[in-house]
Formats: sequence, C-alpha cells, structure tokens
Amino acid sequence: MLNGELFPARRTTRLPGGYMGRILRVDLTTGKLTDENLPEEPVLRKFVGGQSLALYILLKELPRDAAPYGPENKVVMMTGPITGTGFTPGGTKVTAVYLSPLTEYTLGRGASSGFWPVYLKAAGYDGLIVQGASQRPVYLFINEGNAELRDASRVWGKGARETEDLLRAEVGIADARVMTIGPAGENLVRAAMLCNDYNHNAAHSAGAVFGSKKLKAIVVYGTKRPPLHDKAKLIEAGLRWRKTLVVRNVDEKKTAGHAEDLHALPNLNYRSSLIEDHARGFDQNRITLRPCFQCQRLCPWDVEVMEGPKKGAVGHFNAGSEWLDTFFNLGVKGNEVLYLAEKINDLGIECSHFSCGAAVAFEAWEKGLIGPSDTDGLAFEWGNVATIDRLLDMTARREGKWGELLAEGPTQVASVIGGDAPKWLVHTKKGTPALHDWRPHFGQMLREIVASGGMKPQGGGSAKPPPDLAYREKWGPLDRDDPTGWPWSQVLSEQYRQFCGVTGGCWFAQMHMKPDGLKSVADSLSATTGWNFDLDEGMIAGHRSMILQTIFGTQRGWVADHDWQQVGQRFLEPIPDGKFKGFTIGKWMPQMVFDYYRLSGRHERTGRPFMDTLQKLGLEEFSEWAQLD
Amino acid sequence: MSEKYGNLIPTGRLLDGKPRTILFDATKCIGCRQCVHACKDWHDHPRTSVYEFSSSNWIQMDPPVLEGLSPLWARNSCMHCEYPMCAAVCPVEAITKYDEGPVVIDPVKCIGCEYCVYACPWGVISKDEVTQKASKCTMCAPRVSEEKSPFCVVACPVGALDFGLEEDMTAKAHARASEVGGETYGENEAGGTQVVMVLKEGKAAYGLKFILPTKYPAHKIPLGLMLKDLFTPRCGIPGKLRALYLAVVHPKRLLYRYWPRRA
Repeated sequence: MLNGELFPARRTTRLPGGYMGRILRVDLTTGKLTDENLPEEPVLRKFVGGQSLALYILLKELPRDAAPYGPENKVVMMTGPITGTGFTPGGTKVTAVYLSPLTEYTLGRGASSGFWPVYLKAAGYDGLIVQGASQRPVYLFINEGNAELRDASRVWGKGARETEDLLRAEVGIADARVMTIGPAGENLVRAAMLCNDYNHNAAHSAGAVFGSKKLKAIVVYGTKRPPLHDKAKLIEAGLRWRKTLVVRNVDEKKTAGHAEDLHALPNLNYRSSLIEDHARGFDQNRITLRPCFQCQRLCPWDVEVMEGPKKGAVGHFNAGSEWLDTFFNLGVKGNEVLYLAEKINDLGIECSHFSCGAAVAFEAWEKGLIGPSDTDGLAFEWGNVATIDRLLDMTARREGKWGELLAEGPTQVASVIGGDAPKWLVHTKKGTPALHDWRPHFGQMLREIVASGGMKPQGGGSAKPPPDLAYREKWGPLDRDDPTGWPWSQVLSEQYRQFCGVTGGCWFAQMHMKPDGLKSVADSLSATTGWNFDLDEGMIAGHRSMILQTIFGTQRGWVADHDWQQVGQRFLEPIPDGKFKGFTIGKWMPQMVFDYYRLSGRHERTGRPFMDTLQKLGLEEFSEWAQLD
Repeated sequence: MSEKYGNLIPTGRLLDGKPRTILFDATKCIGCRQCVHACKDWHDHPRTSVYEFSSSNWIQMDPPVLEGLSPLWARNSCMHCEYPMCAAVCPVEAITKYDEGPVVIDPVKCIGCEYCVYACPWGVISKDEVTQKASKCTMCAPRVSEEKSPFCVVACPVGALDFGLEEDMTAKAHARASEVGGETYGENEAGGTQVVMVLKEGKAAYGLKFILPTKYPAHKIPLGLMLKDLFTPRCGIPGKLRALYLAVVHPKRLLYRYWPRRA
C-alpha cells in the first residue's frame, strides 16, 4: 500500500498495538501545529518506526536542494511501537533524522532514550515533524495532546540541565520531560546535540538543526499509554528479554570505561593506546545508577566527584564513555575528566567533534606549528584543564578564532593550521567517530567508516553469529587478524541493530550474543502490535532501514567511495603501541568496504542498491536511485 | 484467621493461608521508580504523576525529585497492616484482609465515604475524583493467588524489593539490617505490617512516619465527615442502607469506627 497519502485523513486499516496513532507537524515559520494520522498498517509493518519510518517520511518530504541550516530542512523524530509499553527493557527510544550539517549531504541521525520518548507517547504522539524556522527562540510544549509554541527567550543561552529545570518549573508539571539544546545548538556548532532527562544526548547534529530553527526545547507530558495487542504475551516476551541482559554496575563506572573492553584508549590525539592511571580517583566517587524508563540494563549514571581539584562536581552520564576518551585524548586524567565531560554535555557539544578538533590543535602546538600568538595567549598544552575548559565555552558560543574553528570541526581546524596537520586527523566524511580507539578491531572500524559521516553507525559485527541466527548463519569464529568474514558480520549486525531501533527499542539493551537476545525483541514487537514478526522479517526490516539511509545520501551526491576516501589519515594508521601494536585495517582498504556494500546488496563504488535488493525489500518506489548495471 | 480478628474485619483467603511480606531494602534502592511505573503498567493506570498518591499512583518514592537525585529513598505505599484500620472503619465492609497478606479494597462495594483515607496511618489511600472510589496498592492479590510476586517486586532492577513468606522476609530483613548496621521498619508499627523495610539510617532520615505498635491505631476521621454521612445524602441511599444492614449484622465492627481510641 503505497498509493494515496502517507498520512491518511481517515485511516482505512487497523492501527496496530503500540502506536498512539498521531504525528505532530510543527511548522516553526508559520507557528502552525497540525496532527497527522499515522500511515496505514502496511506502511507501518514495512517501516515500523524509529529511524526507518522517520527516514521514509523525510525522503518523501525533504526537498532535494534543502540546506542543512535552511528552513526547508526537517527533523523527523519517531518512537516505535515498543517505546513506552513499560513491559520490555529498552523500550525507550526516539530517533531523529535530518540532513546532516556535518557532511551537508548525508543523513544525520540522533537517537536518545531515557524518559522523554515515553512521555512523548504519553502525550499522545508517536513522533514529530519539525519544519520551517522561527524568528525568535521558542519551545514546544505538548501537554496531553495539546501542543503550543512558547517563548524561549528566558532559557536561550542556558545549559541543558538548567534549561530542563527552568522549563519544568515554567510549565508547572513536575513529571514533564524536557529535550533541549544547549548553547552549542543555538550557535550552530556543527555537531551539537539534543539533551534530555539529564543523562541522555542525541548526538550528531540534531541540536544544530534545532538551533537553526530557533527551537530551544520540546517539553512533553501526558498520561496515555500505548494500547497493547496482547499484554500477557508482551509481559512474557519482556521478561525473557530481561533475562538476556548483562546488567551494568557501579564498579564499572570506576574504570576507564569502554577503553578497557577495547584494550585501547586514545591518548594525545590517538598517538598511544595504553591505558595507565586514567581512571585515578574514580574509585572514591559517589555513583548512582539512573536507569532509563523500565530498563534493567542500568546504563545511565550520576557521579559526585569526591576527590581531586574538582571535588564536589556532579555529572550525569549514560553508558558508553566517549566523554571520558574525549578528554583522555587531550591528555587529561582522573576526576577532572568527569568535570569536563559534564560540561561538554551541558553545553551540548558532541564530545568527539570537540576532541578530534582540539587534539589536532594541541598536537600543532606541541610540534611548534602554532604558538601563543595564534591562540590569544591560551596554552594548548596536553592536559591543560583551564585551556580545555575555556575552549569548551568558546566552542559552544563560537567565540574567537578557535571557538569558530572547533565549532566547525576537525577538518577545518587542520586546514587553517596547515602544514602536516591534515595528516593528524581522525574523522570520517568530516564527522567524528564515537570517541574510542576502535583501530584494533575490524568490525568496529568498518562500522565507523561506512557510517553516514560522523553519525554513530550501528553494528560492529561479532566473531561468531548471534545464537538466535544459528538457524541460518553458520560461520566463525572469525580471526581478529584476518578480514575474512568481517564485512558480512557487520552487515548482519547492522541489520539486527537497526531492527531493534525501528521497534522503538534501544540497541544497548539488545544482547545479540545471548540466546533469546534477538528473538525476545521480535516477540515483544509481535505481542505489542499483533504482527507475527519472525527474525527473518526483523532482519529485512533492519536491512530496509540501511538501504533507505543509502538512498538519502545517493540523492544528494554521496557515493560509497567517499567512505574510504574521506577518512582521517590517523584513523587508519597502525596502532603505535600496546597489545595490538602495528595493527591497522588500512591494508585491507578499500576491499573491506567493497565487500560490505556488495554483501548488503549495494554497488561497491556508488553504494546504490541493486534493483533486486529494492525488490526484496519492497522499496521499488525508489528504483530511480538503483544501480542498474 | 477470623478468630485472630474476632470478626472485627472482613477476612479472606487467596491461596494457602500463609502470610507473605514485601521486603524493601532501602540500602539497595536507587530511586529509579521502576516499581512505581510497573504498578501503573500492570494495572493499566494512566501515566499520572509519580510524585503523589492518586487513584492511579499507588507507590510513592520519596523525596519527590527526579530519579537518582537523592542519597536516600523511602518507599511509601500500603503497608498491608496485620490489623488494618482501613478495613476496621469501612462501613460497607469493602476492605478485606487476606491471610496471605494483602489488604484489598473492593471497588464495587466502596461507597466513597473516605473513612479509610483518614484512617490509614500512612496516608496511602486515595479517592478517585471521577469514580468516587477509594483505591490503593493491592499487593497484586490476583498475582499472589497464582503464587507470583507483586509486579513492583518483579520490576525492581537492583533487588531492593523481595517477596516471600513472612518469616523468611523478616529473617532476611534482620540479617541485612545487621549487615549494614541499620534497622528495620514495619514489623511492629501499627501492630505489625506485611511490608518490612531495611533502613541504613533512622526512619526520620527517610521521612518515614513514627507509628506506635498499637493494633488498629487511632484514626482521625473528622467528626464533620461522620455527621455528614449520617444526616446527608452523601455516599448514596443504597450505601447507607448497606452500612445500616451491616451494622446490625456485625455490630462489633462499629467499634473502631466510632471508638477509635479503644485498643
């Protein structure tokens, strides 16, 4: 069913369980707020929700010549059917899609969890389409299905945490949930984030697009819950899903984070991977886990710093630990890292965007390419907390030369410094990777390289197929020093991660290597909606989402060759030291990228999907963008 | 069971007659409110404020601040008193104490007189503005009768809630309290309850009420409310007739309603 209008004035098919049934269209130019009915059931079954449904809407609506900061750019935000049921872990996701201000020609995607997405549905909406641009700062307030735009001048310029508190007080509802931009979004820092519920950020430029539209925040409150097709079955599937979870704990928040799993940590602009005393003092901190809505994975956490010069500082973080590596990469260690990490999140700057840019400038200082006369007297020394602190404020507000440059991004920093500086870059298509040292790992590196330009990609592969796919995948274990098999592993993992996302689920709660880790997600979707989704259909739904992402780029001039051609040189250099010394996937490039695109049904050079891929996925309507030979 | 209660309150049996207890370990609680939402989800309650008691919010985690933003968390909900004053004052016998622990309000029988709202020592009973019925936590009695734990207990992600036979939970609470150098709450209050808490610090630090170990503690039902019920159409004529009939059938049950100080 792809005839007729995408948003029918009157639905002719059943509204499946899990959906609220409405999308709010917000036109910031005219101030008009319109309710749209959700698409008909066949469209929903195909695209489900999250990135896939949002992107399908964006592809239908975004003009080909839209500019990222023009009023014609749109942000489409979608939850999924399992968002906010309360009976599954990870039912917390909202995904925003838009034309990326980082690359200016590929998809931007920001995803967030916490409570805001749940309360968007409680307010009666599955998603939002934000279009146009306001003349003055506004915020959107949705209360029990009633939406209004309100003046945001009082909170314009304020950090994310303060804005959240002020707006909650202003609307007078203690339970209201706030998604906001910080000063970075207002000042169009190219990788500005959306921040919500203190601990959550949707990175990769969504905040900058909000800023360009003068939309400071979206405050949501409501009491509705999504209707469920089969509550008993959902509870059963949700409890099974819960059993698969690897539950996080306080102790792991006292380590150097994900770097420990990767056995590598970026030091001084990725010039050493050794983990030393980076986490010193963390063990003395007071840590509180702050889980997302009804998720027992327990990713988010708060910290009260109890040691060091920043004693008394408070921080609100989620899982991952990119914000730690962000400042380790600039030579900072210990609890000052947590102070800076809280600050960067509050300002709303994507941490890797800042770190990869600042690290090039610091390296240039170290090597004498720039000196005090170039930096207005700031000492760009590794580990200089005062300088970094100041640079964060300057970046968020685009103050001075360095504020402007760091707001633009690492490639601009390097080109202004000149000399060898462009060789020290870590980036992919001007975007920056989730800030870890991924270089020793095939799956993760491939994932970063084929991502849509700094947009956090999905997948990462696994050495063996997930147990739930054993019925169809018989390979592995893959060798960590041999590229064979890794591209296919990445294709598969991207599919099931995308699938989890389009259901409205959080991929951090999807335990792919545990028995039942994928099936329980599919069963939760089936019980919620009444569709009989098996894993094959789930993988196809994920694959469809990947291909839509490709089509968006293809329409705007992206080709797959850019993936391996536009990569910062240092990102492909051999690991300088440590356990994986000398390793680089650079020697298998671009063949790995070619294999990845071929195996996912796309041409290896153009990235365009083949006709049979589009037919298999029911995306024939996009055949004009297919690779025909 | 009814012997123990001297026919003072309605009693019943769900399963095997063995009393169960909810154990709340405040030393493990992180204030995430998953129990609060789980309660709403299980009962299909609207997603109303989690910060205050209402007919759709039966658990309240104090202090009323965002998740995680407090070092101490107190759980406030029905304590499922061994000698429930709410049941003792109900003029239409809408509240039943079950052998297995739950104290349950029957919404069909409830006439909305609010006596229980005032009688509850912990103030955890709410009256719905629309339906005019009183409501509170049921200990998930239908689940208990299927030998399942209350849904809040199932939901807790950090093991701060537990559920089981009273003697097991009490023993566990004592062991844990001595392990952390803390104390327990709920065992003796109001003559004993079927929620026991382990506290790291004194109950005052948690904002928990000081309740005497008296069975059927004194209530504060306003005299005006009682007079209104006797002399105005409040709560409806059928309700009044039913209350009158029950007063004749079970005259002993008038005791705590109209003579609250008598223990």
